[in-house]
Amino acid sequence: MFGSSRAEKVSAYSMTWSDEELVARSIGGDPDSFNQLVLRWERPIYALAYRVIGREEDARDVCQETFLRAFRALNGFRGQAKFSSWLYRIALNLCRDWVRRERRTPVVQAPDDLDALELSAVREPTTSIDDLVARRELTHIVERAMAKLPEDQRTAIILKEYHELTFQEIADLVGCPLSTVKTRLYQGLAVLRRELAKSES
Amino acid sequence: MIETICTYDGRDDLLIAYLYDEIDTADRAAFSAHISGCGRCTRELAALRGVRSTLWAWAPPEPRVITDYHPVSSDSRATTHEPPAGRSWHDVPAWAQVAAALLVLGVSLGIANVDVRRDNAGWTLRTGWSRVPSQNAVALPATPVSAPWRADLTSLERQLRTELQAMSATARAVPAAAPATMSDAELQRRVRTIIDESERRQERELALRVAEVVKDVNAQRQADLVKIDRSLGFIQTSTYGEQMKQRELVNYLLKVSQKQ
Repeated sequence: MFGSSRAEKVSAYSMTWSDEELVARSIGGDPDSFNQLVLRWERPIYALAYRVIGREEDARDVCQETFLRAFRALNGFRGQAKFSSWLYRIALNLCRDWVRRERRTPVVQAPDDLDALELSAVREPTTSIDDLVARRELTHIVERAMAKLPEDQRTAIILKEYHELTFQEIADLVGCPLSTVKTRLYQGLAVLRRELAKSES
Repeated sequence: MIETICTYDGRDDLLIAYLYDEIDTADRAAFSAHISGCGRCTRELAALRGVRSTLWAWAPPEPRVITDYHPVSSDSRATTHEPPAGRSWHDVPAWAQVAAALLVLGVSLGIANVDVRRDNAGWTLRTGWSRVPSQNAVALPATPVSAPWRADLTSLERQLRTELQAMSATARAVPAAAPATMSDAELQRRVRTIIDESERRQERELALRVAEVVKDVNAQRQADLVKIDRSLGFIQTSTYGEQMKQRELVNYLLKVSQKQ
């Protein structure tokens, strides 16, 4: 799906149009604009879903459903918030629904056959096997530590660390005061610090 | 170690704001001055920075296929709730997918010089890209076993090409001169590339698995050694305790017998 011709188109669009402009063009009937938005945002949304719910297949489903809902509701998007924030909100709501539906704490389980191996094949062909094993171990340690966090702290940390949202953006997204975001981040990091120290020992 | 208490006003929030560099200039200056004199804040800040760097080790798996959206009109957005159709293998009929898989497998086996033999030493399986077939093998006429599948394969390939040509022509409405035909050499080259890539990937995967197993075995060995050490210590302690008890019993018996 990430063919060169499509990638070229995306880069051409990426250079030219902002998210909000693409939304406007899509609403106006330009058939390609929404595709460009999908290609631009699918990886971040997938990464968010994966880190929140912890299962690759389900994360992919959530990602698809996010774009589907966004597409259906595009006419209602008035640009009060950034398109990315709007998309994140849809994805987070779907993740919450998933957690409630499954009635379980999100526990991240990296599938056995994935991962560092494939990532390294794509990005770092010179990475040694020892490095890959070490990285995979570290990934498991972080996953286990993250699984110990309450949902609100976990979400705040994911949005801050991996999506680089500002405190205010997180507050708007999850619907809480700015100081609460800071408190959640502080408490979450403190828990992680303890859990990671335990793993080291 | 006794941890000092920091009573800086709004300290936790400021620490987080400082950590993520989302703090206004005045607060930053004041908090920097405080940190330089506060051991607790200095240590905690360093620890949280360490946590943040560790968190970056957590990369989600590379998505294999997430979404494949295609241009959709605004009309379809208003009227349909079906996901946009994907341009993928789903467009190809199931029988064609199976046939393609069989074709690739057959060609791969052919290219790989797969050779299965049974002799006195038992079953032997050989593969090799560069292995030159022996003269005997060349001289031999086509065996009754190999002839049918080759014929089937050829007809299957022909049928598949015809179907794909038809589909391609319908979909793209390209003149007949389109690159629908592929030479055998080109096909072989592509299959060989695919198989080479697959082999390389499998080698890396195997190496990773082996390294993990070795690491696990070492960890288990260490744990077993610790367990054995503890057990030996326990046995030594209990043996010593038993000896002492027996010695006391013997002493007691001696005393009793002497009295009698």
